[in-house]
Amino acid sequence: MPSKPKTVDTTKATKAALYAARKVLTRDAQEELQLRIPFDVYFQDPALRTLRRNFDFDETFDVPWEPGIGDGPTSARFAVVDYDSSAETLAPPATWDAENNVFTDTNGVPLNKANIASPQYRQVNVWATLQNALDFYENGFGLGRRIPFGFEGNRLIVVPNAGYGENAYYDRDSKSLQFYYFDSGEKRIYTSLSADIINHEFGHAVLDGLRPLLAESVSAETAAVHEFFGDLSAILIAFRNNKLRKWLAAETGGDLSVDSALSNLAEEFGGAVQNQPYLRSALNKLRYSSIKDDQRQHYMSQVLTGAMFDIVQRLSRHYMKRGRTLGEAFWHTIRRMQCMAIQPLDLLPPVDVTFEDYALAVLRNEEIVNPTDPDGYRQMMIDVFLEREVLSPETGRKLREPHDVFTRLRTQVYHHAADIASSRAAAYRFLDDNRSALFIPYSADIAVQDLSTAVKLTADARRQPRQVLLQYTWREDVVLEGGRFGQFAGETTSMLCGGTLALDIDGNLLSWMRKPGTQPLMGKGADESAEEQGGALRKEAFLNALAARIKAGRIGEIAGGELGILEKTVAPLTANKVGGILRFSLSPHVGIHSDEHDEMGESQWQISS
Amino acid sequence: MADKLLIRAYNVGCGDCIYVRIPKARKKDGEVDDFHMLIDCGSKAGEAVLKAALNLLKPELPLANGKRRLDLVVLSHEHEDHMKGFNPLFFEDVAIENIWLSAAMNRKHPQSKIARAFHNLAETAMRNVAKRRVALSPALQEMVSLYSISNESAVKTLTETLPEQNGIAPVYVHSDSKAAELNLKTLVGDVAFTILGPDYNIDYYYMGDEGAIDLRAFSEAAAGVLASGRAPADVQPGNISSLDFRRLQSRMMSNAFAYTAKDSTLINNTSIMLLIGWRGRRLLLVGDAEWEGTFVDGQHNGAWNVAWKRQRAKLDQPVDFLKIGHHGSTNATPWNDKEDRTVTEASTILDAILPLPAGNMPKSGPKAVVSTARTPYDVIPRSTLLVEIAKRVSNTKIYAPLLSPAQIQGLPNYVGFEEALLGEPQPQRTDMETLVTGKPYVDIEIEPAAGH
Repeated sequence: MPSKPKTVDTTKATKAALYAARKVLTRDAQEELQLRIPFDVYFQDPALRTLRRNFDFDETFDVPWEPGIGDGPTSARFAVVDYDSSAETLAPPATWDAENNVFTDTNGVPLNKANIASPQYRQVNVWATLQNALDFYENGFGLGRRIPFGFEGNRLIVVPNAGYGENAYYDRDSKSLQFYYFDSGEKRIYTSLSADIINHEFGHAVLDGLRPLLAESVSAETAAVHEFFGDLSAILIAFRNNKLRKWLAAETGGDLSVDSALSNLAEEFGGAVQNQPYLRSALNKLRYSSIKDDQRQHYMSQVLTGAMFDIVQRLSRHYMKRGRTLGEAFWHTIRRMQCMAIQPLDLLPPVDVTFEDYALAVLRNEEIVNPTDPDGYRQMMIDVFLEREVLSPETGRKLREPHDVFTRLRTQVYHHAADIASSRAAAYRFLDDNRSALFIPYSADIAVQDLSTAVKLTADARRQPRQVLLQYTWREDVVLEGGRFGQFAGETTSMLCGGTLALDIDGNLLSWMRKPGTQPLMGKGADESAEEQGGALRKEAFLNALAARIKAGRIGEIAGGELGILEKTVAPLTANKVGGILRFSLSPHVGIHSDEHDEMGESQWQISS
Repeated sequence: MADKLLIRAYNVGCGDCIYVRIPKARKKDGEVDDFHMLIDCGSKAGEAVLKAALNLLKPELPLANGKRRLDLVVLSHEHEDHMKGFNPLFFEDVAIENIWLSAAMNRKHPQSKIARAFHNLAETAMRNVAKRRVALSPALQEMVSLYSISNESAVKTLTETLPEQNGIAPVYVHSDSKAAELNLKTLVGDVAFTILGPDYNIDYYYMGDEGAIDLRAFSEAAAGVLASGRAPADVQPGNISSLDFRRLQSRMMSNAFAYTAKDSTLINNTSIMLLIGWRGRRLLLVGDAEWEGTFVDGQHNGAWNVAWKRQRAKLDQPVDFLKIGHHGSTNATPWNDKEDRTVTEASTILDAILPLPAGNMPKSGPKAVVSTARTPYDVIPRSTLLVEIAKRVSNTKIYAPLLSPAQIQGLPNYVGFEEALLGEPQPQRTDMETLVTGKPYVDIEIEPAAGH
């Protein structure tokens, strides 16, 4: 067992002062000053404990301390509520012992690997895993900012023993992550003990916070982006773990192209439910052309997960070739991957994100962070995306053409980036003053979807200039004409349009990803014409995607009430009316199941009577 | 006309109440008479509509010793839309000679112990939910009502009251039941009753090898609801608001309902699938038997898939009449519900029993009827399924031009679910026929096959 640093006791006031200054303290210093809370979490899940002796708990794991931690556990962004919907019982919460910097069970016994039988152990295991994941997204190697949630409020409710069932969910409507348990033979499987499952579900919550309008997309590909992000999060957060990387180095000899605890997702769950050693694997050779007409979002998502895992492998080989030890090579790989995969989220358009959008955001972010690219990372990533057909050859060629890395945004009315960042109202005036230059139709009622600033780091921990991130959207009415829209024929729905602008604080244009509409633009030049053409193509794709969803019987109703939602009747996409306009939304429960039971067509959504 | 077999489907809303008269198929004490059958008598609507249907039926039945005679009553399965009308008061003036129930209803059937235990759990769960008087969506409310006390009294009527009144014992039928076991002593002539489902081995084919695990999982999953009809004590976590907690509870996967939905499917799948052979004709009445993807040995399967596997020789031939299952629901008539022309087990079954005609459908072609009423769900009845069946049967109608604007306006969910396809041929529907003809039933007449 690795030795832990000696800790230093401080007064409450001193600890708060140190907390305020934590960004300038090293990790070791934070541990000594008890600004981190040690907790023995399960590696991956309990199955690994059986598979690999001595590979069970991570005793080196700790999570950031914060002043508001309390019983539950409860912290700034999470509230653990141990309600079991099967037994209809509420288990007592873990108690926070501030003096000893530890959670204890109802008998005052500290919760650690010696006390896993306590019901409170799972409460703290899931909370600690989530605190760690939150830090992964928010720290400078990630988004470099605090992230919002996609619901009203800021605390995500976490239910570690939600009831009996082979699933786990993110549910925006109840602001919660729900982790169910089930029996496999004589063994009880708790999904709240699987780091992969927790991180996958939290990935949904994070993406829903960053891009809440993705839930309104009718495109199966956008639903697949959600699943991809869940899986990618699970893989990268696992790889971020020091002990796991060491073990992986020993296990694989550096060859990540073999089945490993990294590429395999949710081992215990997969073993119990699907009789295979994982739920999904990032090791696949799927290409975009083989999934583009599919409807199964988990299956589709593997193309992008596979592509990002290809990048992980190539990076690690690159570092090994440069003479790094395996451990070092893996460390450099994950630190760069965190920047490469997480930072681009801030560049994604606010609606209808496609695989190509994500690839372009990844490549653009890499260019911003590493404009000279002496190691050819960007070229390597273009190769991967081309091989997976996520980018077209034409796009690949254009990306490889020499071009200016940083340009200015051409506007009619100048607004300083700091002014734009000052408020949503100010951001709106910037957009409205520049409708023509920003390709926003005069008739569009623009909504500022999100506005934030971020300070991101490069992979070698250099501070990037402060970023201003602005998402804006508008809606266009679309009438559904023709039999292919089935029961929705004749109804009006809306197509979401908009863009994400990323500027640095000096006004350089970092990125501008748009989803154009079809309303006439104010200017009449070639750029406007291309934008309008893009809008027409989008509308066609929107209608085709919706018709395909209807044909596949993937739109249903939700049968719910005070006693809960009946999972069987929750279709992947649901329809409801807001002010007479049809609005679609991805299933409110974004679960971990594979698509196997999604292939029955519509009959599964109905209740037998 | 007297030579024709009559099938009369009463319009009882969303439910089945079907009278079958087989000419000259009864002989007792040397006297030949028609054979009179009632298959199901239930509805999701109130009892009044069923009482009215029975009052219309009774004059059709022969009088004997001051009572109307039914030679055979068949209950396909124990759901209210098939049995709510079995109130002893409605049958006081009816003499019943035989009662057939699904083997799945037999408490002593050795091969349905797990299915029965599963059903009991569902019943306990739903009755406890009912006691709690909580707000439920219409779909969940409907599920609760499937297990109401009134169902129990209908079961008691058929298993105890009516048998005692008539001095008979109910026969629990399955696909291995022999003619002698079926005990139809008065049936004569060129008539054969064949049971295609349920299979004798109910637990194995409809629950699967893992039926016992399902049972355990159900108990685990719905422990609270199974234990008590009272809402749990008012507990409240200290770290979220009571409003958030209430919303959380309401959004959590409702296991009692999830497993009860499974039981409800099981009950449908153990429907009596009755094939009546009469003078060269094949009439198939299937209750609410469901289909699923493809038969898999050792797993839970749909009734149609089990029949296709186990009774293939009997099922794999065209029929002359189909009582469309489950009120026209998409999951009760085997078909390719994706409508993408892929050949599946389900589409193969449909092609076998109702093949697409090579040219125009002859007037003497097969017939079908659906007892239905538009529900709030687009899958019951599924208009596209009805249009598909209409391509394969001869008694179709285009209802749109036959309905007045006021009638159309009065159709529930017309715009959403009916408008698009009411202008296409559909098999005769009890709901539409009443609007068009004013009659509270649909008559289907079957002539003997040539040479029979």
